[in-house]
Amino acid sequence: MGLAAEKTAAGGVAALSLDERMTLQFEIEQFLYGEAALLDARQYREWLDLLTDDILYWMPIRRTVTLADIDREFTRRGAMAYFDDDREGLETRVRKMESGSSWSEDPPSRTRHMITNVRVLDASDDEYTVEVFFHLYRSRLDTEVSSWVGRRVDVVRRTGEGLKLAKRDIYLDQTLIRATNMSTLF
Amino acid sequence: MDAREEGVRACNKEAIKSCFDSEKGLLDRRIFVDQDLYDLEMKNIFARAWNFMCHESQIPEIGDYFINYIGEDQVIIVRDKSGEVQVLLNSCRHRGNALCRAEQGNAKSFVCSYHGWHFALDGELIGVPGMSPFYRKDFDKSQWGLVKAAQVDNFHGFYFATLDPDAPSLPDYLGDVGRTGLAMIASRGDVEVVDGIQKNTIDCNWKIAVDNLFDWYHVAYSHASAGEAGVLDLAAVTQANDQMVMLGEYGHAISGPAIKQEMQDEIVGMSDDERKQWNKEEAARSNGRVTRALRMKAAEEMMGPAGARSIGHPNIFPNLWIATGGSQLCLRLPRGPQMTELWWFTVLPKDQTPEERRMTVRFNSHLFGPAGLLEQDDGENWSQSTRAARGVVGGSYPHNLSMALGHDEVKEDPSGQKWIETRINEHGQRWTYQAWMDWMAADSWADLKANHTPVPTGRV
Repeated sequence: MGLAAEKTAAGGVAALSLDERMTLQFEIEQFLYGEAALLDARQYREWLDLLTDDILYWMPIRRTVTLADIDREFTRRGAMAYFDDDREGLETRVRKMESGSSWSEDPPSRTRHMITNVRVLDASDDEYTVEVFFHLYRSRLDTEVSSWVGRRVDVVRRTGEGLKLAKRDIYLDQTLIRATNMSTLF
Repeated sequence: MDAREEGVRACNKEAIKSCFDSEKGLLDRRIFVDQDLYDLEMKNIFARAWNFMCHESQIPEIGDYFINYIGEDQVIIVRDKSGEVQVLLNSCRHRGNALCRAEQGNAKSFVCSYHGWHFALDGELIGVPGMSPFYRKDFDKSQWGLVKAAQVDNFHGFYFATLDPDAPSLPDYLGDVGRTGLAMIASRGDVEVVDGIQKNTIDCNWKIAVDNLFDWYHVAYSHASAGEAGVLDLAAVTQANDQMVMLGEYGHAISGPAIKQEMQDEIVGMSDDERKQWNKEEAARSNGRVTRALRMKAAEEMMGPAGARSIGHPNIFPNLWIATGGSQLCLRLPRGPQMTELWWFTVLPKDQTPEERRMTVRFNSHLFGPAGLLEQDDGENWSQSTRAARGVVGGSYPHNLSMALGHDEVKEDPSGQKWIETRINEHGQRWTYQAWMDWMAADSWADLKANHTPVPTGRV
């Protein structure tokens, strides 16, 4: 589940030469940085272009539990979540922000997506499983500051139109969400 | 400071009763920011009321526990060794330390992390380290068990607790309107809480969040973007001209759209199988969008002839909203006058097909919770309204809750159910603040029982 850290790259990545891995690493990092920059610039249409049609975008609910119950720390797929979107769900979110009456984002939030600790965990012919740590900083109006830190597991797919995001699992490092809302995308 | 303001600050009875002018629908905004009033709310409302704890499906096994709050008192709801549900203060009797640090889980017993005092699942103190060498055996463990809620009861598996031994029984507390409201969620057969309670904090007073659940006026404007994005058909959902309000004893209320009597007359004649068939066809017609399903006969019986027509929003006073067509509960937990925690519970029939479950879960997480397309736009309205009340001048101007005041009539049917049939209105909000004053001005349950405002009849 969410926390299990992968010590070493597995699957297809281990078979690659160092040069190949460095090229892949660079390519994927640049893709993810570019994608994050689009969100911070509120270029949501361009952001949607980077998603596959079968994208799954999911943020489970995390709970404070004891070590004995640690396997129940995150809700599972199909249970309740903060985000549980397919492409249509994400397009709906973008349409909302474009509507001219999306008060939770007008005035807009100021966001900065910091992406770090990028590791390609697995690779098949056309898909890469990538773990990143993120810090999404959001400042709203004059006083509201949200600082969301966590771990993401993304699936990046190579398509005829370049790399695209096929899946994003977002594991936040807080349980009670200390924010009025989450009107931004992760 | 004028005399009235001074009285309010001193929590003087007469001054509290002047906070809401029910004849004009004007509310003193300072009740949203005043710390003394907040402290009195903890005592006179939350410590006295029946507070929602959890659903039985959240703690099915012995030792399963869930943490919740009664006002600012944190409580453990736990199934003890005999299978009984206990509501215990999450505070060691020794120095007050929290016994449970997790939100939920399973425990064999509760051990304090400070000095190791050890409590059974029913709250009994069963172990004190150093009993002989340090306490010299001069200590009576039987007197130092965990503090228990004064009364615990459930309504069809929904557990409530009160800290006040003088509170009426849960059914009496809920009354017709509370029971009708809870039936919206409890009458859907064998239900369970879907794993995962969404929790977030909003910088607003808890009462602003509560009064908003009756507010069908804000939907078209606050949530215009969700309508435009195609999340749901706002006009169909709000039904501005087919609204029904039920006002209940002690402040419970239901307000929102209603099924027209003519349509209800047709529904009443349908068997459960016919209703299920109708729901299936309606779901197919809706092209994947969630629609309002017809209730089954058993639900109608629980809700009474008028209540069965309501598809609005119930609030169990003080802070439990039955939401999303009876598939969710939202608790508004006070955290100081200017902070509220919202907790969303999703409650669904166990016999849903996986497809139905998937659709409802997605729909609910899409609408509500901090990332919900409807709820995103609510929080800032509430926090900015709360903030304005802090101003010397801003706080001195009243909130206006006068919509439809004096324009409606309370109807009563032979069963005794009372309801108002109307357009979009503010009856529910006014009733909530009227009840707030009754509770705040009462010295005890005896005083509240004797002196609360009776459910209105006639012109309202």
